[in-house]
Amino acid sequence: MVSLLKTTIEVSGASKACRFVFISCLFSCLLFFTSAFSSESLFAQENSECFECHTDPAEVGDKVRVDPVTGEVELVSMLVDEDAFHASAHGGEDFYCIDCHADLEDVDLEETEGGHYPNLQPVDCITFCHDDPAETFLEGSHANLMREKGVELPTCKHCHAGEKSKMFTPKADDLYHRMDTIGKCGGCHTEYYDSYRNNLHGQVTALGHVDTDIATCVDCHGQHTILNSSDPESTLGPENAKETCGNCHPGASGSFLKHIAHPQYKNLGYYKSAVVGLLNFRKDPGQLGSIIKSPQIILTILFVMYVGILVITFAQFGTHMLLSWLGTLLDERKGKESKHDK
Amino acid sequence: MTSNGNTTYLRFGLFHRLGHFLIIISFFGLVLTGMPLVFKDYGWAHFLYNLMGGYPTAGNIHRICALITFVATFLHFAFLAFETLVRKNRNIFWGPESLLIQPKDLLNILGDILWFFRLGKRPQFDRYIYWEKFEYLSLMWGTMVMAVTGFILWFPVQSANLVPAKLATFIDLPSIALVAHRYEALLAAGFIFSIHFLHTHLLPENIPVDEAMFTGRVDEGHFKHERGAYYERLKEEGQLEELKVPPASSKAKFVSKLMGLPLLGVGLLMVGFMLSSLICSLASVFVDLTKNIHFDIFSIFAF
Repeated sequence: MVSLLKTTIEVSGASKACRFVFISCLFSCLLFFTSAFSSESLFAQENSECFECHTDPAEVGDKVRVDPVTGEVELVSMLVDEDAFHASAHGGEDFYCIDCHADLEDVDLEETEGGHYPNLQPVDCITFCHDDPAETFLEGSHANLMREKGVELPTCKHCHAGEKSKMFTPKADDLYHRMDTIGKCGGCHTEYYDSYRNNLHGQVTALGHVDTDIATCVDCHGQHTILNSSDPESTLGPENAKETCGNCHPGASGSFLKHIAHPQYKNLGYYKSAVVGLLNFRKDPGQLGSIIKSPQIILTILFVMYVGILVITFAQFGTHMLLSWLGTLLDERKGKESKHDK
Repeated sequence: MTSNGNTTYLRFGLFHRLGHFLIIISFFGLVLTGMPLVFKDYGWAHFLYNLMGGYPTAGNIHRICALITFVATFLHFAFLAFETLVRKNRNIFWGPESLLIQPKDLLNILGDILWFFRLGKRPQFDRYIYWEKFEYLSLMWGTMVMAVTGFILWFPVQSANLVPAKLATFIDLPSIALVAHRYEALLAAGFIFSIHFLHTHLLPENIPVDEAMFTGRVDEGHFKHERGAYYERLKEEGQLEELKVPPASSKAKFVSKLMGLPLLGVGLLMVGFMLSSLICSLASVFVDLTKNIHFDIFSIFAF
């Protein structure tokens, strides 16, 4: 509209030099209108413009996606749940879709038949934003050990996946995320997962309460710098354990830090190793010695003792119960018969 | 069962009935909030835990009930101290009135075993039958273990530091307390909800609820049948008349049934859940143990 007004003013000026300007303005005006009313063009710069299509099931569907890191082929929904997005770690005011995905500035829409070119750009969490945690993870001993053993390293999205879809990156304290990480750590560390479930922390989280007042794997072992607990630098090293345990147990110190978070008394492998140690006692007394010296032995003896007490008690009193029931019933019948005879 | 006459005798005084009531309330609270943690892998445990209020609430109910148990235990020991120190009553430690195991009880056990195999008549019992004594003693022992380990778990940091640092690498007090607390709880809950219920309330002559602990009264026929020696002894000593009380009102009987039956149902339901979960756990252990053994059942048809 402004350009139109301009042209009329300039026409009234009626100078020869102005004719070029008039034509060029008219041309630009034409361009403006065509661009404003053409359905063919998209400039997804604002989140709302992306959501216009990506929240409508009629516009977008599932796409086959090849993971750029793992090469995994999967079917990914292009639909975005706006509420889930806003609840996610990237759902704040300052984040735009094009921060991670490329925008549509140079996309030739005719060539891609109305939509835009698939896989605008693989999302790169590390390069521009999360280089620090990625570095601590990728260069930490956990990742190094995985490389040594030839185990495939997880990507960011392996752990940081939302409840409904991988795309909604959960916040650190998100309850689903905390529950999910227990299963994901436990997927490889099955023995430690089982023993964690025997501890009070694991019992409560198994019942569905995973808020930050109960320890999951990452609360004790750290999030990205995952060091072996025997490493003095780790979160469970002698110096750091005070702080790690002290987060929930104020005043944690001294003997409390020696807590066995992973009791072995329900682990069949532990009993097998004890039997092997017993058999090899003559050749290698140290093997059995290390089992006896470990704090697990008291727990195991106590557990076995209690199982024995339980079995004996219920077997004995159960038999007593049945026999006295039977006896009473037989006596009653006898009593009735004798009455009958009289 | 004979129900002749309106003569009823007092078996439990108000004090003991109050103690039993406090123990019922606290025990059910403790079991319903604690047991889900043991059977955390099963759906009923999730349901029950959420029913009791979820993470902090169920724990708080558990602690409140533990305090009620402490009150009941304190009352009991105060009673014992009063009887021995003030009243100079030695009968509670020795003799037929005692709840401790007496030589007579060993004879009674032998007699009962003979009776089980129809080799003799059932022995006549005195005031407390031998299995009641076992129940009492195991309750005392269990309460002690549960209280000590429960306090360790309630204040893990403070109690762990009671262990000297040199021993701490070998003795981990909170973990030991957790194992003891968990399996002692299984023992206690399993015992009360199956053996105690079946021994007292679900006996053929008492079914469905033995009202003696709620109304405190027992009628003469039942008394003679259940505790013959006690009856005869009281009669000889001339104390029987002192225990004679008016029969329980129908209202008291109704209330005791109203209270007893739901608790009985909840307890038996818990035993059912626990037992079925145990069978499932054992089955999964069995599968785990035998997963490397390949035995083709149809190989027996090979020849």
